[in-house]
Amino acid sequence: MNGAFPYWDLVRELVLRELRVRYRRSFFGFAWTMVQPLLMMSVLHVAFSTIFRFEVVNYPVYVLAGLLFWNFFSQSIVASMNSLRANARLLDKLPVPKSVFPLAVVISGVINLLLALAPLLALLIVTGHPLRPALLFLPVAIAIAALFTLGAGLLLGPLSVFFTDVVELVSVVLQLVLFLTPIMYPLAILPERWQWVVRYNPLRSILEVFRDPIYHSKVPPLSHLSVALVLALAAFALGVLSFRRSSRRISLYL
Amino acid sequence: MSPSLPTTALSVANVSLCYRLAKQRVPSFKEYAIHWLKGALTYQSFWALRDVSFSVRRGEAVGIVGLNGAGKSSLLKIIAGVLDPTSGDVEVGERVSPILELGTGFDPELTGRENIYLNGLLLGRSRREIRERERAIVDFSELGDFIDSPIRSYSSGMVGRLGFSIATAWPPGILILDEVFAAGDAAFTRKCEQRIAAFRAAGVTMLMVSHAADQILASCGRCLWLDHGRLVSDGAPAEVLAAYHARTLLPGSAAVTV
Repeated sequence: MNGAFPYWDLVRELVLRELRVRYRRSFFGFAWTMVQPLLMMSVLHVAFSTIFRFEVVNYPVYVLAGLLFWNFFSQSIVASMNSLRANARLLDKLPVPKSVFPLAVVISGVINLLLALAPLLALLIVTGHPLRPALLFLPVAIAIAALFTLGAGLLLGPLSVFFTDVVELVSVVLQLVLFLTPIMYPLAILPERWQWVVRYNPLRSILEVFRDPIYHSKVPPLSHLSVALVLALAAFALGVLSFRRSSRRISLYL
Repeated sequence: MSPSLPTTALSVANVSLCYRLAKQRVPSFKEYAIHWLKGALTYQSFWALRDVSFSVRRGEAVGIVGLNGAGKSSLLKIIAGVLDPTSGDVEVGERVSPILELGTGFDPELTGRENIYLNGLLLGRSRREIRERERAIVDFSELGDFIDSPIRSYSSGMVGRLGFSIATAWPPGILILDEVFAAGDAAFTRKCEQRIAAFRAAGVTMLMVSHAADQILASCGRCLWLDHGRLVSDGAPAEVLAAYHARTLLPGSAAVTV
């Protein structure tokens, strides 16, 4: 027991592994991070402008910003849940602090998100969207999103060890959440009496703080920002507390 | 023995471990919810260890025997700090280093060298410590240029060699050998045995779980016998093994109660 566990050294190595495995051999892995959201955006653009017929100014920018946020959030949640299961054999033998795995997942997710900002920037330029200094607010918005996501990952991660089917269940719930978050559509197209469902969806607050600097070219108003920050801190605190409780039990279930 | 060092390497006092098992296995959330709604979630306690006490002096080599399910692995997990005992205390004076199963903690997509860092960190070593030993690990593993190829291209013998080289790169306080040995060819097995012998000579404490009696007789000065979670015997290997074999190898032995 001499010396503390090299916690951050290990987190760093796990993040590097994630990125190496994803980007090393294949140029394709790298390209995919950038191209996949663009393809998705094109599909949605065609679908919504021809079939559903609603008007959003510069819809491609609106939807791409939302999709990047959504990919980060949903992929991090699923990967957090898988990370503990995938390392079960290891955690069964070594006293590794279990939180390194969800933490590494979210940090790699942030790095992927930053890389995916490149095609977004290209799209802003191509579509002649105004490039304002508000874009410099993005790091703060991403930090808030990361804190919220980490909290959710810590909360849900251990469940996958206790129950084998919970990852699929969460994937279905995530689909529902996707439709309850104004990512592909603007809030205004919903019937007025249903708007509250989306308005009080906590993920929406986090999303708006991320999308405002990109799409509206403005720093989010303090009222929205404070709500998002409180939500992120609450999710993080809840995640840490529940993870502390459940991580002691994880070893008995592996 | 230097007077500044404590003479007890490990002390296990009245340790019990209870797994709370659902009577019906409910590995899925769906079934859990159904059982919960029916009010049919009943648990039974399974005591993997009951009131186990012993202590190990610094430099001792202790073998542990027992049938499958006797609690050997649970005991090692508690000593390694992976599980907390339900009751009782474990005091470990030094860093415990378990030798893992072949390839545990390796990522097949990473190179051998990258896995040295990943595995070393999982074993609780800092980047700096690993950098200092990187060369020695590569040399001991005899992997040569393969060290910079992804592990998925390795044979199982090569994986075992690398794993053993990393796990034993630092002289441990307490070495745990759980049924894993002999990865690779005879020459490398001999090299592993030599390294363990060198640890022993340097006064490293060792705990060894093995079904091979001759291995315990050859390397341990003491043997513990666990049966149904209880420590039933603790003494010289020859005597403990004789009693253990008399009990477990004779027909009708299952009827004998402790």
